[in-house]
Amino acid sequence: MIYTLASASSQVQYGELSPSAGTPDVPAPAGEERMNIRQFASESYPQATRRSAWQDLLGELNLKSDQPGDHPQAFATAALRGSTEGLTLARLTAGDQTLRPLNQRARILAALLPLDEELTLRLDGAENKVPPGQLIILPTGAPWETGLQKSGRVIVLSGGERAFQGRRAGFRPATKPLILARQGVAAVLIRALEAGATELDQLSQTDWQALEQVYADLLLAVTSEAESLDAAATPGHAALFNRVTLSIEKHLQDPDLSASRIARLEGISDRYLQKLFEQNGESFGHYLRERRLQRARAALVAPGDIRTPVAEVAYNSGFGDAANFNRLFKERFGMPPGAFRSHHTDRAEIPATEQRGWPVKALAGKKPALRVEPSAGPGSFARPAEGATDHRLTATSQTVHWGYFSRSLRPVLEIEPGDTVEVETLTQHASDDPERMIKGDKSAEDVFFWSKDHKAVDRRGAGPIDASIFGRGAGEGFGVHICTGPIHVKGAEPGDVIEVRIDDIRPRLSGNPAFAGRCFGSNVAAWWGYHYGELLEEPKQRETVTIYEILADAGDGYAKALYSYRWAPQTDPYGVVHRTYDYPGVPVDPESVDLRLDPMPEVRIPLRPHFGVIALAPREVDLVDSVPPAYFGGNLDNWRLGRGSAIYLPVSVTGGLLSIGDPHATQGDSELSGTAIECSMTGRFTIQLHKKGGPLSDLTYPLIETPDEWILTGFSHPNYLAEFGATGQGEVYAKSSLDLAMKDAFRKARRFLMGTHGLDEDEAVSLMSAAVDFGVTQVVDGNWGVHAIIRKALFNR
Amino acid sequence: MKHHRLPATPDTVHWGYFSKTLEPKLTIRSGDTVTVESITHHANDDYNRMIKGDAAAEEIFLWTAEQKTMRRRGAGPETGPFRIGSGEGLGVHLLTGPIAVEGAEPGDVLEVRVLDAYPRPSANPDYAGRFFGSNPSANWGFQYHDLVEGPKPREVVTIYELDMQAPASVSALYSYLWTPQTDPDGVVHPTIDYPGVRVDHATITKKEGILPGVKVPARLHFGTMGLAPAEADFVSTIPPNYTGGNMDDWRIAKGARMYYPVAVAGALFSCGDAHATQGDSELSGTAVEISLTGEFEFILHKKADLGGTILEGLDHPLLETDKLWSVYGFSYARYLTELGPDHQQKILESSSLDRAMRDAFRKLRRFLMTVHKLSEDEAISLMSIAADFAVTQVVDANWGVTGSLRKSVFQGR
Repeated sequence: MIYTLASASSQVQYGELSPSAGTPDVPAPAGEERMNIRQFASESYPQATRRSAWQDLLGELNLKSDQPGDHPQAFATAALRGSTEGLTLARLTAGDQTLRPLNQRARILAALLPLDEELTLRLDGAENKVPPGQLIILPTGAPWETGLQKSGRVIVLSGGERAFQGRRAGFRPATKPLILARQGVAAVLIRALEAGATELDQLSQTDWQALEQVYADLLLAVTSEAESLDAAATPGHAALFNRVTLSIEKHLQDPDLSASRIARLEGISDRYLQKLFEQNGESFGHYLRERRLQRARAALVAPGDIRTPVAEVAYNSGFGDAANFNRLFKERFGMPPGAFRSHHTDRAEIPATEQRGWPVKALAGKKPALRVEPSAGPGSFARPAEGATDHRLTATSQTVHWGYFSRSLRPVLEIEPGDTVEVETLTQHASDDPERMIKGDKSAEDVFFWSKDHKAVDRRGAGPIDASIFGRGAGEGFGVHICTGPIHVKGAEPGDVIEVRIDDIRPRLSGNPAFAGRCFGSNVAAWWGYHYGELLEEPKQRETVTIYEILADAGDGYAKALYSYRWAPQTDPYGVVHRTYDYPGVPVDPESVDLRLDPMPEVRIPLRPHFGVIALAPREVDLVDSVPPAYFGGNLDNWRLGRGSAIYLPVSVTGGLLSIGDPHATQGDSELSGTAIECSMTGRFTIQLHKKGGPLSDLTYPLIETPDEWILTGFSHPNYLAEFGATGQGEVYAKSSLDLAMKDAFRKARRFLMGTHGLDEDEAVSLMSAAVDFGVTQVVDGNWGVHAIIRKALFNR
Repeated sequence: MKHHRLPATPDTVHWGYFSKTLEPKLTIRSGDTVTVESITHHANDDYNRMIKGDAAAEEIFLWTAEQKTMRRRGAGPETGPFRIGSGEGLGVHLLTGPIAVEGAEPGDVLEVRVLDAYPRPSANPDYAGRFFGSNPSANWGFQYHDLVEGPKPREVVTIYELDMQAPASVSALYSYLWTPQTDPDGVVHPTIDYPGVRVDHATITKKEGILPGVKVPARLHFGTMGLAPAEADFVSTIPPNYTGGNMDDWRIAKGARMYYPVAVAGALFSCGDAHATQGDSELSGTAVEISLTGEFEFILHKKADLGGTILEGLDHPLLETDKLWSVYGFSYARYLTELGPDHQQKILESSSLDRAMRDAFRKLRRFLMTVHKLSEDEAISLMSIAADFAVTQVVDANWGVTGSLRKSVFQGR
């Protein structure tokens, strides 16, 4: 069970409290600690131990899973509240597996509520499909199984008999599954489960206890309702019994409470009262004693009553005689009340060294440190190794794809591991100033070509090709980046890791003779920027484009603002009007906007040339929006991914299918306005393949290496494609949060320190607090990012 | 210009709270410098190394059945009956001060320059001349409900040694699992819930040889520096606030200048919570908590003189170093007023990086528009391409995000 503290007076967090400062009153017991919550993310665990960690978690719910086949990258998250003493509520995100009871014989209740995807329930050869939003209450002691086909969210409520033991009506396990639609009291329970699962981590311990009672009562109500319908019993029966038990509850403290007193109070005969109890397999006397013992048991360890003498507890529970109480309590619970209390307190205060369920074994052993050798620093660019080939990939309408990643794209280049490639990339913002960034540049002119009859790169984004949603254009601009590639890396298979090392990066010069030798970029304060909803100056809800000149040769180089303009509706060559910046590559007509010259005349922005997008093709869906980054890399927008750095990406499909784009001259941590200084660049890369089984084989997320640091990329939703299922591509935009991204970055940093450096969890946590810096990567790409920076010098042993 | 010295003694420290009602321990004039000693509230995690033989520390931490030098620890009540102890641990930092600045009034800004910071050596002959600090992974840490190894949850204290030989670095000595500690008043502390409880080393098991070979570069700084707020008489030191306090930003180190809005007459500056190092986020709930002595210079900027300077319109703490300016965003910029009378509790339930990021964005935009005279469009473009936002801390109830801008951006001016 979970480590819960018995005494409210001693479980206060630092600073937790209370009435306003300085009041001399005794503060009310807080008892507010969110003690029995557990969070799980498969990303916390090395791949090899994920399955067992997941099984351990399911074990808490008396469930087990058989995931078909070898599924090392199976993605799952969970939050779980409660304990084996009572009910446990969990919200799971999981895919493609079968759940069944861990212990078939245990009389443990399980209720499942699928939220996104249909569940298949199998029992005794029969199969039922349960649509999302309906609740299944499963029979105990039966070999049922439920299958999840696709990734989605499921709420699970489980609890043993003890959760109901104190209950007035008692828990009678169902003998066959109940599938409940959202109607009547079942709808109330379903909504209560949904609400509880959403607020799981926001509830105080007291809140949770209250909710537990509500669930238990509602469960009894739905099961007895279903039962009575089934047995066609008189509904009045159940209601009357319910009233009787409530009346007993009210008078429990009265030591002289008798059956005839209750019968009198409820206006029924003694005989009828007895019959009511018989129908429920009980007797009045036994029921009353059980209720009194349960009340006493709860009071003995209740946070507010921990100092109440045992005799007083007995008296308050309707036991007139303390000796008798002691004897009955011991008979019922196996130890006398005093011992029970101190046992409970001890257990709470000294956490057990081993705990049921969770993967202590999987991680406790100290692992030898796996050294990942730091690579050559900047300046020593790897020349093609002997036998390696140097390739060149120019950007043309045939070698780029715009706004999406896809596992089914035909590779534009095949390389051997170890080969070097020079890759041209074009910024999708070149059309913000076609004169400076497109005109005279053959590649850019080809890629951006768009007349009323022809559009060289038609699809821009992962949306429908017929633009049937918003009518913006093919692909709907669901994804905006021009990506060069994909490059097929020979021999790369799912489970391998591809290393992309940036040996050099240089800005692309203007092809227009009028600007010969100069270089330009664009920064758009766009509608997807972080600032957009709360602008101060008028007009509100404006988009502003600032064109910068990149002066790369002056010292370390800097950028300087040339002019800016507010976005005005642009009509694209097909005649569609773009009132906002809603589709990439629409050429801006300089006549249509008012230029403001020389803004910020004395401001010089230091350069940080880097690639915003480096991606391998994701496995989950065919067309993936290029905007939200995730486990496959993509739109990371981390400026540390510049010259001399490398990125390691997990391979999902054969050949990896590497795409590079979204070049930036510089950006800050957060990329606040929605874009960086977007500027076409050419990079030189060395591509390596790390086969499964090496020191990097536990990598399931993009890992950046600079000469001095490891940078781990945390996201609000590390694999949003799996997490949100079929609807995920849109949902991630609505559900991004730095708080979630921080959690993910923490879990990844812990796993990295434990796995790669052989630390135990305590060492890793202490080191993270003392030496790891967490920063805001971006708050504008749908799936927000927080990164963790681990300095290599920490480990110069 | 005068130099003063403020040693840490039972008379010059206050524990766990800021208060406008405190008598100043020192009154100075603008331009004066002061040497201030601070003692870490985690010294009792290893009494032998961090307290024993140090007369001031011994006196401050003295607590027997008969006597407790520093009774009140926290902004909670100081009359019983207590749940855990006087002040109820509602605020934990042992602060030296307050220092009053002559002529300081609400609306002014106090500039505090950190001229130097150096560690306090162990006074125990067994460890003469060495420096020690403590890093608990505590119940208020970010990891506490998200552990992968058992037992769960748990608190672990790691004792570090600071090596001042350049480049100064910090290495772990040993760690132990927190065990319930009984204080001299008989109250059992099953978790780290009250500051300054001596850990009985007979009840713990030391784990040696941890983090072998790992050297963390030192970042000596004061986690808590700030002025007394006006809103309440006793304010917990845990949540940082518009008058500063528990900022936990390692950049507030030697060479830094901090600017704080003055809320009460005299400003009432206190400092403590010194750290040998920490990372951005202070993930485990604490840094490497150590005793430091600081050299500070105080400059008062009167309200009437703020226009046209970087302090114009300042209503939050601002950091200036040789290289950058940083503004501090919080989950609640002014939680004492925003969250109503129940603010001490509510702030604990309202921690959010998302809110802190929002606040940091607004503050930096204001700074760029007011001080650097940029239009809103210019400010937003500049923030996107040149400002860096980082996670300051996720453990001080009022979570923090800093927005920093390199001064070199304006070098052309």
